[in-house]
Amino acid sequence: MNVKLFGPELYYLLMALVFFGLSLRRRENVKQDYQIALALTGLGVVVTLLSLFQQGDLFYQAYKVDLFSQIFKFALALGLFLVLTISHNLAHIENRYHAEYYLFLTTTTIGMMLLVSSVELLTIYVALELSSYSLYILVPLRRGDDIDVEAGIKYLFIGAVSSGFMLFGLSYIFGITHTTYITEIVPKLGQLVDSPIGIIGLLLTLSGFFFKLSVFPFHFWAPDVYQGAANQVTAFIATASKAAAVALLLRLTALGSASGFSFTQALWVLAIVSMTLGNLVAIVQKDFKRLLAYSSIAHAGYFLIGILTLKADGFTAAIYYALAYLIMNFSVFLVINEVAKDGRDLKLPELAGLYRRSPLLSMTLILGIFALAGVPPSIGFTGKLLLFTSAMNQGYFWLVLIGAVNGTVSLYYYLKVVYAAYFVEDGGLPPVQLSVPIRILNLAMAAIIIGFGVFPDRIVNLAREAVKGIL
Amino acid sequence: MLLAPPVGLLILLCLKEHQKFLIRAVSLVSAGIPFALSIYTFVAYDKKLGGLQFVEKYEWSKMFGITYFVGVEGMNAPLLLLTGIVIFTGVLTMWELEDRVKEYFIWMLALVTGVFGVFMSYDMFFFFLFYEIAVVPMYILILVWGSTRKEYAAMKLTLYLMAGSGLIIPGLLLLYSTSGLFTFNMVALHGVRFDPWIQKLVFVFLYLGFGVLAAAWPFHTWSPVGHVAAPTAVSMLHAGVLMKLGSFGILRVAMYLCPEGFQYWSTFMALLATTGIVYGVFVGLAQTDLKYVIGYSSVSHMGIVCLGLATGTVDGLNGSVFQMFAHGVMTALFFSAVGYIYDRTHTRDIHELGGFSRIMPVASAFFIVAALCGAGVPGMASFWAELLVFIAAFKVFPIAGLLAIAALVVGALFALRVVQNTFYNEPNPKFMHFEDVSPFLGLPRMILIGALLLFGFFPQMMLGLIKTSIVPFLQGM
Repeated sequence: MNVKLFGPELYYLLMALVFFGLSLRRRENVKQDYQIALALTGLGVVVTLLSLFQQGDLFYQAYKVDLFSQIFKFALALGLFLVLTISHNLAHIENRYHAEYYLFLTTTTIGMMLLVSSVELLTIYVALELSSYSLYILVPLRRGDDIDVEAGIKYLFIGAVSSGFMLFGLSYIFGITHTTYITEIVPKLGQLVDSPIGIIGLLLTLSGFFFKLSVFPFHFWAPDVYQGAANQVTAFIATASKAAAVALLLRLTALGSASGFSFTQALWVLAIVSMTLGNLVAIVQKDFKRLLAYSSIAHAGYFLIGILTLKADGFTAAIYYALAYLIMNFSVFLVINEVAKDGRDLKLPELAGLYRRSPLLSMTLILGIFALAGVPPSIGFTGKLLLFTSAMNQGYFWLVLIGAVNGTVSLYYYLKVVYAAYFVEDGGLPPVQLSVPIRILNLAMAAIIIGFGVFPDRIVNLAREAVKGIL
Repeated sequence: MLLAPPVGLLILLCLKEHQKFLIRAVSLVSAGIPFALSIYTFVAYDKKLGGLQFVEKYEWSKMFGITYFVGVEGMNAPLLLLTGIVIFTGVLTMWELEDRVKEYFIWMLALVTGVFGVFMSYDMFFFFLFYEIAVVPMYILILVWGSTRKEYAAMKLTLYLMAGSGLIIPGLLLLYSTSGLFTFNMVALHGVRFDPWIQKLVFVFLYLGFGVLAAAWPFHTWSPVGHVAAPTAVSMLHAGVLMKLGSFGILRVAMYLCPEGFQYWSTFMALLATTGIVYGVFVGLAQTDLKYVIGYSSVSHMGIVCLGLATGTVDGLNGSVFQMFAHGVMTALFFSAVGYIYDRTHTRDIHELGGFSRIMPVASAFFIVAALCGAGVPGMASFWAELLVFIAAFKVFPIAGLLAIAALVVGALFALRVVQNTFYNEPNPKFMHFEDVSPFLGLPRMILIGALLLFGFFPQMMLGLIKTSIVPFLQGM
């Protein structure tokens, strides 16, 4: 076995051990823990970046290291690092649990890293559970009223049910193909994909990841968990965890690429329902995180547009959009976290007068929101355009039309956020003080949103290379 | 030309809010440079050579066939000039603004970048990109610096326009994917003969999408409300330039790429346009708010533009493009005059103002000149434009042409009544103490009037230029 291939995972495993050690100490030292965590995760980004172009197989071909998996590992590492940069005030998590917070964030990241590299069904399932269980613990870690418990239970139950669905689907697939290796399943599945057992097996298998991505009908947890979990944990669920889910959906739907009409038809319906439902319900939300939860349901629909094309350009677009989504969603959470310094849930009216209280944050907010809404020249616009183009190339005219109309609907509630930040007077809310690193982070996010939106070529090229490995 | 506004915008970002004079100066310079350049391109364009000139072309994304491809031809040169004039005078008009000056000019320059970009782009991707950049800042500009029911107006306007682009995107992408060329380059796509059914389908989407912005009846309802709510310079830009993006989009993209679709739908287009003309005139003249009057007259004037496009003849298109220019300058003048009056008196009610010309003769004169131009008095630019459109319309759609002319004659009568009621009745004693326009603040209005008269007396300067591109355009169809 080549240790270098397994480098990022080993690094994060060691990191988890360090945090485990820290959590055993009797007296907590919050500040020092944070510095260690930040440094280690920062180094993790470098490690994953260095191993970006590695190739190889591990563990009897159950584990594949290719550009596709490495891009997503980098995204996960980046997501973890970014979430830790806004974890300097974990107001709602008790001090003695801080080390655990870092520990479980790390283990869930490891789970997701294993996930994006797995090419064998049981490995996928085990990795999925590893990442999910850590999140089940992180969600109710928040101190306070009962909403965290409610969120934790909802997350656990719906997660467990969707895992059950997934196992059921896996059993079907194993039943008809007698293997758990994806590379062997594809040729054997061939014509079976269009038979009822094939479709049901595949769709049920996907449901485990529909849950993570909050695709209809597995979206019920999203609003409560987004609102109930601590802001930083929500940020992680909304960014890194989504990227991993997209990666696995891409890998597993590639199984159905031989399929004809019916498999894509099912995804088509899910995409449309998710987009429309998410956008319409988001309109009436008052809590900022709840609004973002519904927006994430709508975005799950957009991801499915790229995925259901089952062609290289659609997959490329989905990867690009997954990376873009990580950045733009994080920018918005960065603002939430800085405005709600004490870790409370942010209501929309509390953004009032942000343009005066902190011009920099309001700029980041407006860029992030416009990117989510798909307004040019942002990374979100380019991503959406790529998704729509790829779907149109496959002749999904109505899907694109409905997607574009949905974009208009979503603009209404995104503009409500802009309205609150730019128009409503602050009414005595205090100005927001920012530390220097956070200022730099703000500027970096703004630069990335605009920069990669206008010059997408490099990332698209990389994503295109990566897709070759899975189709 | 495209570069100056964004550079100005970046400089503004670095300035502090309290350096108000510096902010205004930077904005003026970054509006002045494109103004000067637009005059230069207008004059330096070689009419004998024709075709595309001043072309800039860079490969942007090879994979998706996106090129940065801008150029000037007879069709868009007048519109660039229009944008140059309106933005320059717009900045001057807002010279007195005190509230959140920096942000205001930042958003305004962003908007202008978009507008210039749309008029110059020959690549569908950049066309759409700039189109959206031009539309989105409106929301914030109206929301923060607007008046009368601004929240409602800003949201309504943005949702209408974004719904429009929601229709445009599928249309453009369908063309892109069925062409088989994998390019967004419009000149290349023009060479493709699309299936008639695709052309018919896409034309509807593009016509409706761009038609929303051109305030084509029945999608005009956002426009009077938006005009009324927007601050003066934004109304000027919006009615003067942004609505032209819609009609220009119909001409440049919809008709250019789907000629058969256009022929199929042209009667329908003419019908909507004529309804718009008649409707705009009658509704507009029942209003008592000056800005609403202008807003509805815009609907009717844009109807003339669309009617000209629908004829699909040389005269019709010529007149239509000329009308875009004339109407742009004219509405800018309208709003600029009303804005000045409103800033002083805080009312735009016709009856309350009654007899205003005795108080502010110069400011009133600006409004009256615009009203005359709107009524199509000879010697004004719009006279020639409307004449051409009506001649063409009369040949192609006799009934529609007749109706439109009748509506305009009635409209002219009513316009004179508005002028009389507003400016020549008994003066309202409340406003006696106001001073008239100072020479400096009068300057932007003078520029606008100058442009109207110049092209009113020498229409050939403009028409000759437009013709160089309309003739090959129609041959290509």
